[in-house]
Amino acid sequence: MSYLNNPAIVMDNGTGLTKLGFAGNDSPSWIFPTAIATSQNHTKKTSSMSSTSNTTSSNQYFGNSTSATSFNSLNASMPLSNNLAGKRGTEDLDFYIGNEALAAAQGPSYSLSYPIRHGQIENWDHMERFWENSIFKYLRTEPEDHFFLLTEPPLNPPENREQVAEIFFESFNCAGLYIAVQAVLALAASWTSSKVTDRSLTGTVIDSGDGVTHVIPVAEGYVIGSAIKNIPIAGRDITLFIQSLLRERGETDTSLRTAERIKQEYCYVCPDIVKEFNKFDRNPDKFAQFIVENQEKTQKKIVDVGYERFLAPEIFFNPEIASSDFLTPLPTIVDHTIQACPIDVRKGLYNNIVLSGGSTMFKDFGRRLQRDIKSIVNNRIAQSELLSGTKSTGVDVNVITHRKQRNAVWFGGSLLAQTAEFKSYCHTKKDYEEYGPEIVRNFSLFNMV
Amino acid sequence: MLHLQPHNLLIQKTLTEAIEAVNNGTPLTLDRIVSDFDYTTFHISNSDEEKSTLLLSVKTKAWASVVNCGDLLSYLQSSFTKFNGIEIPSNFENGYNYTLALDLKQLDQESVVQASLLKTMIMSFPFNLSFEEFNKLSSQPAPTTEYELNNINNNAPVFKIEYRDDENIFIKPSFDRITVIFETIFQDETDKILGKVFLQEFVDARKRNRGIQSAPQVLFSHEPPLELRNLSEYSNYTDISSSKRFITFVLFPRHFANDELKFKSVVQLTLFRSYFHYHIKCSKAYLHSRMRYRVDTFVKVLNRAKVDEEEDSKDADSEQHVRRTITGRKVVY
Repeated sequence: MSYLNNPAIVMDNGTGLTKLGFAGNDSPSWIFPTAIATSQNHTKKTSSMSSTSNTTSSNQYFGNSTSATSFNSLNASMPLSNNLAGKRGTEDLDFYIGNEALAAAQGPSYSLSYPIRHGQIENWDHMERFWENSIFKYLRTEPEDHFFLLTEPPLNPPENREQVAEIFFESFNCAGLYIAVQAVLALAASWTSSKVTDRSLTGTVIDSGDGVTHVIPVAEGYVIGSAIKNIPIAGRDITLFIQSLLRERGETDTSLRTAERIKQEYCYVCPDIVKEFNKFDRNPDKFAQFIVENQEKTQKKIVDVGYERFLAPEIFFNPEIASSDFLTPLPTIVDHTIQACPIDVRKGLYNNIVLSGGSTMFKDFGRRLQRDIKSIVNNRIAQSELLSGTKSTGVDVNVITHRKQRNAVWFGGSLLAQTAEFKSYCHTKKDYEEYGPEIVRNFSLFNMV
Repeated sequence: MLHLQPHNLLIQKTLTEAIEAVNNGTPLTLDRIVSDFDYTTFHISNSDEEKSTLLLSVKTKAWASVVNCGDLLSYLQSSFTKFNGIEIPSNFENGYNYTLALDLKQLDQESVVQASLLKTMIMSFPFNLSFEEFNKLSSQPAPTTEYELNNINNNAPVFKIEYRDDENIFIKPSFDRITVIFETIFQDETDKILGKVFLQEFVDARKRNRGIQSAPQVLFSHEPPLELRNLSEYSNYTDISSSKRFITFVLFPRHFANDELKFKSVVQLTLFRSYFHYHIKCSKAYLHSRMRYRVDTFVKVLNRAKVDEEEDSKDADSEQHVRRTITGRKVVY
């Protein structure tokens, strides 16, 4: 039973990016796109023909091995004694994942696909192979020796969990499995912040990635599904907004890449737009310059960065400046979400609003959000005091920002999986064989006190 | 895709990033755990004294048995210190078997790859010893009588790597060959069957396929091969019912004629078990995808049998031509 000393593996497969790593580390070991490039059948012949010349020259142990295809060509040339072997080569092994997949998809013989859509796994064949390669090639672990912590989006149907369990226990024979809800892990990650005093699993998670922003209320470790709200504003919209501003001004370089770099390096949230406009006009060194170099570093283009520094993140708070069909600001959405929850948990939800995901990384984002929500709440309290004539005890609004925000879900998983109790919360291979895949419908929650 | 790389990709990536960060003047603070096959854990951390020095420590199950084979420490020292920027500190990190000190300012690409080969290097030590032993034995006159042959075979040392709980690697040099024997045990019933098919294919593929005649001979047996009969634990091994199987690779001098070939052979052999298990898992994934496909086609057949009454009555009224496609969809024309 020496696998007990092996670190648990934490895998967070998101729509865009997959984060893989070992429990106890402070950041994921691998972050790459959840993409898989599979070989296309009709080009199989040409690819195997061309690879015969490649493999002889390249060192197949260190090179980005093309040996899968070379095995095909070996099959083709050998006298076929076995009928079945002649029908099929090793096409199912000819694929790449992550960044290698993006590179391989540039060529003609591979087609790219994203097995996860909107947080949920759509293509199980591809996902199984994606996992297989990420475990053996990237993490270099024998799944039989390790426990696994996987994540799932809120409102994931239990059938999907069962599918995951079937793959992990039947294909990989993993030692143990725990499937955690992403929002709960994001709450756990906030415990590293100095502002958090009691380690409770009650709070509102604002998870903003590249595609969509979710507001998820969690009460004592359970997601309140009926109150979850989505906002169609996230990282990509901010980038597009910056790009449109750059184009309007006629800057020399208005590529999406430049816009994204500007977003990451220069943007911040301001307390008041009008004052900030005045500040920029009085103080010209607020304007920045972003220098774009081409790949050979021979040409330089200078892009001015102006009001978009504070205007871009502002679309969370005043969506009307960027979109015409979605107009509710983020603080109002958060307030609505909490108001849709049972009354006895609302105080806890206001008290612990946790940010997670790359698009919440803007400077002062948390502070602004806290101020706006507080003013909404205080207005409501004042009104009810006026109507009822009694004195309210007040509601504390706290937005928590911390350093691990970008990969909060993964980090929360790493925190939980390194505890000594983690393994006792997992379902083991033995349980699975005894009861079948439906055991993963229930996982007991962590009490981390 | 088919092969596993001998070096640890993650160590390579982490070190490359660390070098880049040092060159940019912003050294990273690292405290990472990295894992590898067969109960191996690496720990990458900053050295206490010098920010640009990283410590790469390794803890592996195989260590205890490999150390018993001979002077492992000086072997590792000689194979690592010839690369730029790698040094061996005087004492190793607590709780780990071995430590390398990497000077990020001097490290180049080659030393990064070498450092990420650390586990392979540890495992390769007994193989190297048996190459030496082979050289010694083969330089003596070849045995002419049965007695001399037995004498050589009985006296040659057997190197044992205990790299997993119940599975060991045995390496036995002789005057004309080196025999490498793997024990395998499967926890799972399905794996046992698939593993057996795989192993028999290893044996048969060589017979069938003229293209790989130069590959080492592979034998597969339920009882310990003769090479192991002299060992105490196998002297009277009768437990045929246990699920332990033995895979024997016979290396002939052409498989380790020069250093490059030696390295290749050792790498293939040390990764054999992981490769083997990886491909059992890949075959299962393939079987699963076939099963999903089959279920989908069944579901399609079932859907075709569905009666959609409301539409049928409407169609009859309008007297349109209706045909069904193979998937059960209706075509109206």
